[in-house]
Amino acid sequence: MRRRTKTLLLILLASVIAVLFIAPLFWMFSTSFKSDFEAIAGGLNWLPKEFTFENYAYTLLGQGLNVPVLRWMFNSLFAGITGSLLIVFIDAMAAYALARLDVPFKKILLPLFISTLMIPWVITFLPLYMQFSNAGLLDTYAVLIFPYTANAFGVFLLYQFFKGFPKELEEAAHLDGANKWQIFMKVVVPSARPIMWTLGIFSFMTIYNDFLWPLVATSSPEMRTITTGIAIMQQGSFVSSYGKLMALTSIATVPIIIIFLIGQKQLIKGITQTGIK
Amino acid sequence: MNKRKSSFTSALFVLPYFIMFMAFLVIPLLYGLYISFHDYGLLSNDRPFVGLDNYIAIFNPDSYLSSLFFEGLWNTFQFVIYSVPLLVIIGLGLALLVNSMPAKLRGFFRTVYFIPYSISVSVIAIIWLWLLDTNSGLINNYLTKMGFDPIPWLTTMPYAWISIVAATLWWTIGFNMIIFINALNEVPEDLYEASSIDGASAWQKFIHITLPSIRPIMLFVIITSTIASFNIYGQPYLMTGGGPGDSTEVLLMGIVEQAFEQRQLGSASAMAIIMALIMIIVSIIQFKISNPAKKGGEQ
Repeated sequence: MRRRTKTLLLILLASVIAVLFIAPLFWMFSTSFKSDFEAIAGGLNWLPKEFTFENYAYTLLGQGLNVPVLRWMFNSLFAGITGSLLIVFIDAMAAYALARLDVPFKKILLPLFISTLMIPWVITFLPLYMQFSNAGLLDTYAVLIFPYTANAFGVFLLYQFFKGFPKELEEAAHLDGANKWQIFMKVVVPSARPIMWTLGIFSFMTIYNDFLWPLVATSSPEMRTITTGIAIMQQGSFVSSYGKLMALTSIATVPIIIIFLIGQKQLIKGITQTGIK
Repeated sequence: MNKRKSSFTSALFVLPYFIMFMAFLVIPLLYGLYISFHDYGLLSNDRPFVGLDNYIAIFNPDSYLSSLFFEGLWNTFQFVIYSVPLLVIIGLGLALLVNSMPAKLRGFFRTVYFIPYSISVSVIAIIWLWLLDTNSGLINNYLTKMGFDPIPWLTTMPYAWISIVAATLWWTIGFNMIIFINALNEVPEDLYEASSIDGASAWQKFIHITLPSIRPIMLFVIITSTIASFNIYGQPYLMTGGGPGDSTEVLLMGIVEQAFEQRQLGSASAMAIIMALIMIIVSIIQFKISNPAKKGGEQ
């Protein structure tokens, strides 16, 4: 077979597979602009016969719907942004100190942190629930943010970066009389920005997309996240209102796909750097 | 004195993470163990110590707990066995396909195959619920148009597993693909050149050069896919509700049910701890099988 024919056939194959990957998302967006009636009637119309915004109006503007979809969206974004900022900041401090500073017991601490990466999270989720319950903090933003901050992934990722970070810059700042905190803030953090973005995007996606934990740890309609809220709607009043359901899933999906497309390079870097070294 | 002061300020850098680590990882680990040794009602105040009773009940074949645990475990195992080989093989296949594209198209296809990974499981499950709807779903609409009978995808076997596995593949395969692409790019080019000179075919190169070179990454992908598949929850919870019957009621669903519907946190914690131990043991076995007793000093 000639080389060019072979390449063309491979491109064709890749394109067919690409269609399979995009089709479900396209069908979701398309359905979200159909009336429930047109959706449930079936058919193969990839574009709505009658284009309508009623599903978005109904779910977002609260027309006849007494669940706070915009609040769910806010909760997800707020928890995702606050949580990932917190994670990036405390992980960077810990990783930098373990890689460079005279932290007591650091020979024990680092392996201790990293070894917990092997622990399946199923083991901590019930006791975490009880801890928050005992503290009276279930169904608050605390449950949507803090449990994610204990993960050692970020410390591990940033530690690898700081280990390979050239010492000269820090030493120069030290000679200029800067203390550790000033060196960290003015020299280390600016150079570590790309890897911190990687961790930030990872953490945001984890928090925004999480399902089981926010499902059990929140209970009031106001404290649901978008991913748990739509699941509850699917099992409740929207059970066969696919037009409205697809409007909700579209609303949940658009921000995360935008963030994914912007942060894709960082994300891939993070995945490959923590792969196997 | 100065040195001690210095190491104190250094420790302050680690302190915030250390507090989170203790509060939300170490203490829950110990607390979970404590809960599993008690008859720990979710809402009751009387929670007597029962020793190993919760664990014993799981292994007592006559108990309700035992059937809940082992049926869930069996269903989870089935999902692991159906999904992991496909996640690994198709993931590698997509990576090879993307790498065979002209340089200009690589980024495009990589992005397209990777997009679903960024979406939440609840959205994934609901999209597939809709695609697979028996009466109005896209897939059955195409089947009936082509003259076939519609298939009740989510309410009969083996279609329920096929549906859950298909949705999972679509969702997460891009992640494995990314890891494989990176591994493939790190295989030294001169290995391929040398074998070209020896007249090796593409298939021979794949078997004798590519596969051995990406072996450690392959192991990593197998282990992480297995762990991820063990943690399955959202897809059956939303797509099949554990049905038909209890045939897709996975272990995590059983644990959540025991904790929040039966409100027996003690036995639910014991179930969770055994599940975690099984996951760790399976990972170790996979690791041992693929790294048979390395001799000291050899790399």
